[in-house]
Amino acid sequence: MSEMEKNLENEEEILTDEAKEEAVAQVEDASEVSAEESTEAEETEDTQLDENESDDEADSEEISVAAAVPVKQKGLKIPYERRKALYGYGFIAWWFLGSLYFFVAPLIQSLIYSFHDTKIVTGGMQLSNLGFQNYYNAFRKDQYYSPALVSTLKDTLINTPLILVFSIFIAVVLNQKFKGRTAARAIFFLPVIIATGPVIDIINGNMSTSGYSGGSEQFSTMFETDLVDQLLTFLGVYNISDSLTTVISDLTSDIMNLIWKCGIQILLFLSALQGIPYSAKEAASMEGATSWEYFWKITLPYISPMIIASLVYTIVDSFVDPSNEVMTLVLNQSKQWEHGYSAAMAWAYFAIVGVVLAIVMAIVNRFVYYEVD
Amino acid sequence: MATKKEEKQFEKERKQANKERMARMKEEGLDKYFTPEQISYNRRKRAIAAIWPVFRFLILFGLAFVVMYPLMYMISTAFRPNEQMNDPSIVWLPKSLTLDNIKQTATVMKVDYWDSADPFENTLLNTVVINVLSSILQVVTCSITGYGFARFKFKGRGLLFGIVILMIIVPPQITSIPLYLQYAYFKLFGIIPLYSGGEPVSIINSGLTMYLPALFANGIKAGLFIYIFRQFFRGLPKELEDAAYLDGCGPFETYVRIMVPNAKTSFLTVFLFSIVWYWNDFYVSSSFFTDNNTIALMLKNLDANLQQQLFDGQTVSVRQIIVWLESGCLIAIVPLLVMYTFLQKYFIEGVERSGLTGM
Repeated sequence: MSEMEKNLENEEEILTDEAKEEAVAQVEDASEVSAEESTEAEETEDTQLDENESDDEADSEEISVAAAVPVKQKGLKIPYERRKALYGYGFIAWWFLGSLYFFVAPLIQSLIYSFHDTKIVTGGMQLSNLGFQNYYNAFRKDQYYSPALVSTLKDTLINTPLILVFSIFIAVVLNQKFKGRTAARAIFFLPVIIATGPVIDIINGNMSTSGYSGGSEQFSTMFETDLVDQLLTFLGVYNISDSLTTVISDLTSDIMNLIWKCGIQILLFLSALQGIPYSAKEAASMEGATSWEYFWKITLPYISPMIIASLVYTIVDSFVDPSNEVMTLVLNQSKQWEHGYSAAMAWAYFAIVGVVLAIVMAIVNRFVYYEVD
Repeated sequence: MATKKEEKQFEKERKQANKERMARMKEEGLDKYFTPEQISYNRRKRAIAAIWPVFRFLILFGLAFVVMYPLMYMISTAFRPNEQMNDPSIVWLPKSLTLDNIKQTATVMKVDYWDSADPFENTLLNTVVINVLSSILQVVTCSITGYGFARFKFKGRGLLFGIVILMIIVPPQITSIPLYLQYAYFKLFGIIPLYSGGEPVSIINSGLTMYLPALFANGIKAGLFIYIFRQFFRGLPKELEDAAYLDGCGPFETYVRIMVPNAKTSFLTVFLFSIVWYWNDFYVSSSFFTDNNTIALMLKNLDANLQQQLFDGQTVSVRQIIVWLESGCLIAIVPLLVMYTFLQKYFIEGVERSGLTGM
């Protein structure tokens, strides 16, 4: 945990370094200009003007200078690049100020909370140092935290590949030409509009209390018979059938949730599929590739960068979903005014998510094919 | 260049010619023209081409049904008199229709509340104003930031972009408590107390808690939007910039006059997404609003509000409450659905073109 804190601190330090460097760069600029001054006195007035004036006119003036005296162009080139860098800082400065106040400061603050016992008083938060006690409590004393962590990880582990495979499949189908394609796309993207809000909670709740089985549960009934069991017994495999049946029936009864989580991913894959050049398809069909081969040899490599993006999106989305068990625990703690403890839980969870993401990225990155332009 | 219509015509003619050629070749005997492998390959291809559409229809229809099921259920129950929820003979079509549920729910959610003294008591108006204002602010500032990241090289760009990535990954739940304190005792680095006489101001419950972060490109999902804009601007050719430079545009002018017109679709896409996310958000708004009404908050508290205001202590069975809850859902999503039906082209094609592909 402390490592993360250290990282953050480092980041801050580097940021301040950045500012210093910027200042130094400016000074260098000035000195360069003065060096030029000694050689060509007339021109430098103009360039200095350029340096001082912040906006658009500067450039047009510079153009006129450059047009008038082409010899000068080479000398102007370096300051232009550097000035561009300064403009870059200008473009992101607004966001940077905001994110210091609205994002970085609260983030660090919550990290600080996680090492303290917190008490709300007028004017802010009263902190008393606990060291790692909050983290210790979360992992060793809390009877809900560790199981919730494990079950959330397990859910994500099972659901992520399913979501990815399913959305690739749907995207490939939706990318073919057929009548009513626009309507089909609209329907499959509909969950994105609805599922992010509280509507989905009510829908899910009503499905379970509505008495008759929802659309998804009708599929699962066919697996609840002992067919799988009988088949496995017939094949001479015993005792794994129960868990297998559970897994299959879990998956099928969850098909609604699965589809409702796939909207964005389907969209991402659709856009990736449209990036596959037509020449690749032509070449494949000339060589006599079946559509199965085409999928594995052409489609999959081409969309593999997007698989990473979707993978990260899916994992992050399922980890930060307010309805998962760990998030519920964290939110409950902060509802009981245990902000320090809740922050500790959230940060430990966050660290684990980070590690999982890093591992997954490292593994998947090996199989990604990037087209070299 | 041929137009789309002409291209379709060409395609038709090509198919026709192919067919005729195949027929001719068949008459002469196929083995003359093709190897046995080619013949079997073609045969298999034809078979798949014949069967696959049927399968595709079945798969898509089944899955579309699963997606549409809750919506159909919503419509079926929202207009159903609540007594009929207990009638086992009714599955989809109620025996009679009623608008009472919708009306009652609308009253509880304060959607039809029109009071000239304070029009913002109306949930719908309040939500729309907050959504549109925040989304506009957010789109403008995020695009500027994204442009800065995409088109300028400066020291520490990677590191600063790391913050953007963190903004995508860190859930709002982690930062909401410190943010609440910042808003409740709003000092803005000690600037505000200078004007208000030493006392920090509380901006909890005011729209400022939404507008201020959006104004500084830090609103809901701002990280993702910055990312989308960066990807898009990176995809534009560098020649555009050079041409603008030669014509005497400064960087900011280049952005306003060259880049923004080129990025129209991506602006619209981000704007629409922003609207959807602000509309559906209830975590952030429930943290900072205690009585500022938005649709999502009203829907979240609908169950409790119904018990309090409509049922008045009477017990209503769980199955009957569904009628009102589903009406609430319908009220909440109809504006989004209407927007979606008209603009779905931009939702879907916009992302395809907005450069997300280059992730």
